[in-house]
Amino acid sequence: MRETVRAWLESGKVSMFLGYRLLEGHPVPHLFRRDRLEELEAFVVSPTRYPLEKLAMEILAAEPEGRLGLLARECTGRALRVLSVLQQVDLERIELLPVACCPSPLHPNVTCSYVEPSETRVGKEKWGIDGGVDLEAMERMDGEERFERWMYEFEKCLKCYGCRDICPVCVCKDCSLHNTDLIEGGWLPVEVPLFHLVRAVHMAGRCIDCGLCEEACPVDIPLRLLYRKVTAIVKDLFDYEPGISTGTLPLGLMGDEEIRRLTAHQVA
Amino acid sequence: MDYKLVPSVCSYCGTGCGVLFKVMNGRLVGTLPLKTHPVNEGKLCIKGWNLHEYVNHPLRLKAPLIKINGRFRKVSWDQALEFTAQRFQEIRDRYGPESLGVLVSAKITNEENYLAQKFARVVLGTNNIDHCARL
Repeated sequence: MRETVRAWLESGKVSMFLGYRLLEGHPVPHLFRRDRLEELEAFVVSPTRYPLEKLAMEILAAEPEGRLGLLARECTGRALRVLSVLQQVDLERIELLPVACCPSPLHPNVTCSYVEPSETRVGKEKWGIDGGVDLEAMERMDGEERFERWMYEFEKCLKCYGCRDICPVCVCKDCSLHNTDLIEGGWLPVEVPLFHLVRAVHMAGRCIDCGLCEEACPVDIPLRLLYRKVTAIVKDLFDYEPGISTGTLPLGLMGDEEIRRLTAHQVA
Repeated sequence: MDYKLVPSVCSYCGTGCGVLFKVMNGRLVGTLPLKTHPVNEGKLCIKGWNLHEYVNHPLRLKAPLIKINGRFRKVSWDQALEFTAQRFQEIRDRYGPESLGVLVSAKITNEENYLAQKFARVVLGTNNIDHCARL
């Protein structure tokens, strides 16, 4: 894979490549360039994941002439498609270098941090929801138990906004989590389940199920499961799958005004 | 355009979470949790997530200030240290070493905390030392 990146940079297929390098023992995202090919010695593919799509967005905006190679898991491809629908990236300027990730008998050597089994804790089993639980198992519970368990999870929230900050498809300039008509600012604990449901609603038609939010959550709220439910509803109602469907979002949740704000700098 | 990601340690509290600074053209533009750091394992609190903000903040103090005639004025480090040493000496001579105390911090290293208590005990001559973790 290292040699492919070298060949891409040398041939000018791409002017820069965003992958990972080993730095002080940590795999961290790194922008490789043609004039610093020796840095490829530290090139690494590891289970560690960062929102490379979001970094790619910043890099392409700062270097309007550049073409970017990108190490891509399946979720990276889906995230880029959503960002393209939101007019945040130009897919023509990105070349993907695929890396195996989703667990299946066909891919025994998966490289995704999410595949590592999550730790089940006594409290989670008794009162909460374990990260490994699937949607079907959840729906078999009666409504009251499900609500109790979700509330147990939501009440732990520290309001760090990590789920939004790490999210590869959260790009709004005007975030509804800061809208004081919806959520009171400057207070802890957060109002539950409102805070999490506001974010869940805004993930409709956008969440690409990468699981980065859940990995970033300091109190292990099973966010991926929550957004899976939202995605399932969008699929049922509109037959729309974020990151797979190519058209625009079926719901105008972002609003035309937000799209205008987001694309304002591109026009100028 | 120069873009790199630089691992560091959060400077907000004593926990020592690993962070990853986004640096564009030599300027900090963002913070990510360092996913492989043994302390925080890819998670951060709200302060850590916004660590880059105070570095570039316009209100950040970049030089020592001394209050002269009721107003803070920018001075050099030499002037500030000279002034502080002189005032410490005056206070100690007039009221005794027990009138002085040192508060140390979780934001500095063990070694710096050690030096601070040494300074308090040996130079100032007081055992009045406390730490922000106890406040």
